[in-house]
Amino acid sequence: MSSCGGRAGLTAAFFAASLVALAPRIAAAQSVPQVSASVDPETVGVGETFQVEIQATSPDAMPSSVDINPPAGLLLRGKNSSPMQQHTFMNGTRSDQYTLTSDWAFEATRVGSFALPGSVVVGTKRYSVSPLHVRVVPAGQAPARKQRQNAPPSPFGGFSPFDPWKQLFGGAPNSVPEPPPQRPEVSLDPKLSIDAPRGDTVFLHATVDKTTAVVGEQVTLSVYQYIDITPSGDISSDDMHFPDVVDFVKRPLVGDNQDAPVLGYASTGGRVWQVRLFFRWALFPLRAGDLTIGPTVIELIRGRSPQKENRSTESFRVRVTEPPLAGRPPGYAIGDVGRFALAAQVQPRQAEQGGAVGVHVDLSGTGNVPATVTPPAREGLEWLAPDVHEAMGPTANGTQYGGKRSFDFVVHVNRAGDVDLGELALPYWDPDQRRYSVARAPLGTIHVTANAAAAAKEPDKATEVLAGLPAIRTSLEGTPAARAHPDDSPWFWVAAIAGGPLAFGLSVGLSRLARRVAAAWELRRTSPASELKERLSAAREACVKGDARAADSAIGRALEAAAMAHAGVNVRGAVGRELTEKLERAGVAADAATNVAELLRECEAARFSPDAAELAATRERWSRAQAAIARLERRE
Amino acid sequence: MKAKCTIYKLIPGPTRWARIGMASIVALATISLWPLLAAADDPVEQMPDRLFASGAKALADGRVGEAIATFEALADRGFEDPVASYDRGLAYAARVRAGAELPGDLGRAAQGFEEARDLSRDPRLQADAGAALTVVRSEVAKRRMRAGEPAEVDPGRSFASSLSSLLSEDTWAILCAASALASAAGLFARWLATKSRVRVAGAVMAGVAAPLVAASMAMTLAARSDRLNLHEAVVISASARPEDERGLSLPGASPVPEGARVEILDSRGGLQRIRFGTLVAWLSGDALRDLAPRR
Repeated sequence: MSSCGGRAGLTAAFFAASLVALAPRIAAAQSVPQVSASVDPETVGVGETFQVEIQATSPDAMPSSVDINPPAGLLLRGKNSSPMQQHTFMNGTRSDQYTLTSDWAFEATRVGSFALPGSVVVGTKRYSVSPLHVRVVPAGQAPARKQRQNAPPSPFGGFSPFDPWKQLFGGAPNSVPEPPPQRPEVSLDPKLSIDAPRGDTVFLHATVDKTTAVVGEQVTLSVYQYIDITPSGDISSDDMHFPDVVDFVKRPLVGDNQDAPVLGYASTGGRVWQVRLFFRWALFPLRAGDLTIGPTVIELIRGRSPQKENRSTESFRVRVTEPPLAGRPPGYAIGDVGRFALAAQVQPRQAEQGGAVGVHVDLSGTGNVPATVTPPAREGLEWLAPDVHEAMGPTANGTQYGGKRSFDFVVHVNRAGDVDLGELALPYWDPDQRRYSVARAPLGTIHVTANAAAAAKEPDKATEVLAGLPAIRTSLEGTPAARAHPDDSPWFWVAAIAGGPLAFGLSVGLSRLARRVAAAWELRRTSPASELKERLSAAREACVKGDARAADSAIGRALEAAAMAHAGVNVRGAVGRELTEKLERAGVAADAATNVAELLRECEAARFSPDAAELAATRERWSRAQAAIARLERRE
Repeated sequence: MKAKCTIYKLIPGPTRWARIGMASIVALATISLWPLLAAADDPVEQMPDRLFASGAKALADGRVGEAIATFEALADRGFEDPVASYDRGLAYAARVRAGAELPGDLGRAAQGFEEARDLSRDPRLQADAGAALTVVRSEVAKRRMRAGEPAEVDPGRSFASSLSSLLSEDTWAILCAASALASAAGLFARWLATKSRVRVAGAVMAGVAAPLVAASMAMTLAARSDRLNLHEAVVISASARPEDERGLSLPGASPVPEGARVEILDSRGGLQRIRFGTLVAWLSGDALRDLAPRR
């Protein structure tokens, strides 16, 4: 947010006016500072405040350190200094003026007549100020204060935000009792009414004339000040912040350093308000997008209260686009928006080869008037940079920005014969008509007489700038179409690139896997557990068939397979003690090992017995063998 | 006088219905032709090819300013054609030759020629655009030498970028696929063949093809990345000073030459981060003009 000192505008204007008035005296005084001082009012009552202003102007250096020594009975309540400098160049001579204005506020505390001696320092010297006199009378006996005859009307209705000391201290300016508040008879303008007041006593309200625009189209921001016409105590402005408009070019239509004109009266929130146009700006958007116009903020001080009250306006969002592409004329520059006219004069119409003619171009209109005009470049003509003069400002009704820019070109003519200067053309977007237009100014033809010396100066082909450029082409090739590329497809990478190596890797991997599976299958097929399963099945079958010898043989092999499967011991061929020890070493309990050894011995004996084997005994052994195998499995 | 009256009376006039019919035909014809008449009346509604033709004619006639305005209007409308870009470059160069040069004309000419060279599939146009670029950059180099600045305008591309631009993206892709196929075939031969000669041949083929796959894949990816992501522009200001990201000029750095082709790495506010040879810096966006993306 751009911040300006609240008093800056009016104070600067006031100082400038003062300087103009004081200029002759300053010039005469040479290096002696010109000092003026005033006291207002000269007679005050006890408890009232009065103001002292000392203004020192010097052509040499900025005055500094304005001092006033108040005598007893006067109490300093505040002071404020405003420096200003002005540098003027006239006929090559520079003159400087440095002005310091110092405002002091005192409160009278006792009756008497007082002299206020003051001094001001310029450079290293201190200059005395003629004493100012003030008379203090008992409270209530001071004459009524007069309004300043020449003072500009304050936008705060008597409580100027730019006059820091007026009535800031002490409440009532004099002891005359104020009449009871009365509502003056005024005519109300309904157009100035708003839904609700944005604060009491004083508030600001802003409007924009549009919330959509194209780049370069004027958006008018108006800020109004509403002042409650019913007196409600002292109030003054401390600081003011103008709106943040960084995305716009700002042109004041109604200046913020002028007195705010009264537009009328409005009734809002059950009260009557005097409405003043605080300022009005023409804003030209610099770019497309949603651009923000920030609020105007003013800080108010009410009476002696240290608290500051803020009054702010609405902020706005303006949607900015570029003018449409359809129908856009060649040469259109973004931002050229408004309504323009071109006029041109060429003088003389006859020249000698190598000479020059003058072209005066007037570009006038309203809106974002372009700062440049592009001359029609042609071979054999050299347009020099123009002198530009402009008279721009608000239009008569104060709602638009515009004016005239003049361009004085000098054109060197390097060709002989009748030379067509071409035509000046300025395409622009007319926001009212919502269409493009072109401002044109034909320049016509000039007659150029040949000059041998000038022709000889013409650069030959070998040394001219950018020699050797190829020829112009007159037929289009065709808009290059976006085409598909194989590597844009994922299948290209998966199939064409990774496919071969992947297939090879997969083949090798699968082959190895198959081999591993086969080996595992083979291993599983010849394992002790599988063998045990087969042996048990064979023994069971043999016992069912009734061949006792075969059954004993099968039982014996089943026991051997069980020893191998459950104890991990190969007991084939082992007998007696050796067998028992083998099983015990493998962790089989001694009685179980003995049992297995006994069963094996019995089976062996039955197989090779010369007597016929008894099937019942064999089946009983088979039962015991199953129990023994179960014990082996349980590792008992 | 009397005879004339007699003759006039003898020729019968059109009937009432015939008059209505004729009036209707005239009205319909007027209505149907109105848009064409309006378009003909309004030059800004011209079709791009007609706009191009008028620009080319203006350029041929020496009306350089009009030619530039016309070609720029084409560009504003998003019309892309290598010849339009080429002639636009010629128009800016012609303005320089005419002694009516505006700041940035040489850079804009170079941009037109660069764009024409990128977009065109016509070798002759590519050659002409390349030749014109050389002429423009020679002029820039000459001016820089006079100003005591380094004369180098085109530092060339990086080694990888130069390598990838040796062949087109599609060619690199096909080479990559063929190499991958050869590599796989070699591996299978090495694995499955029983004859030792075939196994050796397979091993050699796989050994040669594998690095070729890697190299051509890298080039394909680089070319694809360039096509999809590379954002380039041409400097159109004679005083494009390299800056840091705060917008402060880099101490001791000379301006990037007008007409130089730079790679845009990043954009922030009104600044663009560029790479020009080994220099990586920020430039004002106003000093650059984008090139049309490759397809």
